[in-house]
Amino acid sequence: MQELKDLENKSIYILREAYAEFKKPAVLWSTGKDSTATLWLCYKAFFGKIPFPVIHIDTTYKFKQMYAFRDNLAKQWGFKLIVARNEEAIKEGVNPKDGKFECCTKLKTQALMKCLEENGFDALILAIRRDEHGIRAKERYFSPRDEDFKWNYKDQPLEMWDQYQSLTGDKTHTRVHPILHWRELDVWEYVRQENLPVNPMYFARDGKRYRSLGCEPCTFPIDSNARTIDEVVEELKITKIAERSGRAQDKEKAFTMQKLRALGYM
Amino acid sequence: MSVNVVMIGHVDHGKSTLIGRLLYDSESITEGRVEEIQRLAEEYKRRFEFAYFLDSFDDELKEERTIDTTGVMFKGRNLYSIADVPGHKEFIKNMLTGASHADVAVLVVAAEEGIQEQTGRHAFLIHMLGIKHLFVVVNKMDTVDYKEDVFRNIKNKVAQLLASFGYHDVDFIPGSALEGDNIYKRSERMPWYHGSTLIQTLDGVKLSREVKPLRFVVQDIYAVDSDRVIAGRVESGALSKGDEVIFQPSEVKGKIERIKLFQGELEKAEVGDSIGIVASCEPKRGDVCGLLANPPLPTREFLGEAVLLGDSLRKGEEVELRCGTRRVKGEVKEIREKINSETGEVMARNPDHISEHEAATIIFATEPLVVEKFSDIPELGRFVLVRDGNIGAGVVLEAKV
Repeated sequence: MQELKDLENKSIYILREAYAEFKKPAVLWSTGKDSTATLWLCYKAFFGKIPFPVIHIDTTYKFKQMYAFRDNLAKQWGFKLIVARNEEAIKEGVNPKDGKFECCTKLKTQALMKCLEENGFDALILAIRRDEHGIRAKERYFSPRDEDFKWNYKDQPLEMWDQYQSLTGDKTHTRVHPILHWRELDVWEYVRQENLPVNPMYFARDGKRYRSLGCEPCTFPIDSNARTIDEVVEELKITKIAERSGRAQDKEKAFTMQKLRALGYM
Repeated sequence: MSVNVVMIGHVDHGKSTLIGRLLYDSESITEGRVEEIQRLAEEYKRRFEFAYFLDSFDDELKEERTIDTTGVMFKGRNLYSIADVPGHKEFIKNMLTGASHADVAVLVVAAEEGIQEQTGRHAFLIHMLGIKHLFVVVNKMDTVDYKEDVFRNIKNKVAQLLASFGYHDVDFIPGSALEGDNIYKRSERMPWYHGSTLIQTLDGVKLSREVKPLRFVVQDIYAVDSDRVIAGRVESGALSKGDEVIFQPSEVKGKIERIKLFQGELEKAEVGDSIGIVASCEPKRGDVCGLLANPPLPTREFLGEAVLLGDSLRKGEEVELRCGTRRVKGEVKEIREKINSETGEVMARNPDHISEHEAATIIFATEPLVVEKFSDIPELGRFVLVRDGNIGAGVVLEAKV
């Protein structure tokens, strides 16, 4: 399909620019469909190997199928995996019942922050897409984060054509978004075309399936009878349900996602 | 076909509302989103607006204006990626970010206000960026009782402005994004109008790719098994196995031995392809490759037209230039004409500096750099100015001076 080829070509270009421009990049992998497709794009961009580490942020609240999928694929594809955890917060027993905002910030954002400090990464490749959430629709392909890890969304860099701003200066790191321009449907068509492995939780059982995977306490399935990739693709062509409708942290309050992301959430 | 559209125009003329209306009428809004926005509007004591489908920062809601560009996609006859851009002068940087990928621009002009400052500036910038397809929506026709003479009057004035930027025979659509007239659905309130709706106009756009000489930009060199693979993208033309090529400004010549992908090889690579080349020579990141028969030519001086978004740019000042994948030290050798980016008028000849939001024709002196005249090969005819970040952008008028 020409459309998928165009999307893929652009993503590969962005990945190679990031690798050329930054000293120490890493790619984030949630084990979900988008970041798994992004790992595959890395293999394509760099001819069969991922030349930087793959980070999985482990909140300890992920579904057990996600851990199984993670360990299997890491072994099968053979990339370097770093599991990032905020051990301190985990010990303190941080959990979503005490507030989703704090929980996401501590177990995800701060775990990532620590991992970045320890390893000195200056670029993080993330598989967010514009069509997932209004706030992500505002992102640049290369998006700098300041010394406090914050996203200054009110003053984003000029990003024209394929000239991405890669200066770091006093910035902690730059977020790189190689599949920002893909739609959910594109990702699934790509998964089908490339025959990529995906977590079976995406497929319907007893009339329910997961559209988006996150932590077990905050992620809910949607009503669906799509049991195969073909059926998922067909469902997405007609659905009116938002992709992240089963993700609780987006909906706690108005602008929660903006506030989470301003602090450095993905 | 994928079509990138940018909505441009002055603040409050209804760009975000218009996109919200397109999404709403084409049933591209997800379930519950309308209710969510209604709740939000109540909480912030605002009237429900279609614009809130796009304006997702709390500040945008509070200030009732778009701050940053948003990209949304929806499927009509084509797959549209639509960029909403802010209509304030202070956010021109965000406007350019959104506009730089556009194939098509839709200029939104409010019927009760007509031409305002950013109407002119946005139109000028779109022209500078070389966006060929431009349409005008005369919006908010509901506020002028859908009167034909108001539409005609604005149409005449805007057509005149656009003609000064080289846009002739532009289609004008009278509409109301708020009421849904002539945007996605045909309006019965303006029986005097027999033209297309906005969506029909967009669906009718045909993008053509002209055949151009080969230009391949080098991003990196990777060691893959025993090969040195030149990674990069075909920006124009096509590249075939066996081609005799030259990489500039490194000035190395060679033959294309293989075109590599992660899995498999190609006989021929086309425009847009991100590929790897195995060749009988080794270029560097930043090089541009072309056929020996029609090679890229490095230059040390070129004439560009640029718009400045940083403080000021002085004659004699050093500035980094980026074109393709190359970054070089450059110098503002001569500012030929300072241009008012609102009207396109020449404000001064040979000034010693230009200020924020002003445009200029500038002769840049540079380390050897491959640039192409924008009208010949746009992919290598555009550049960005860097000084602690991207501060401006422009297009190449003459690759050699």
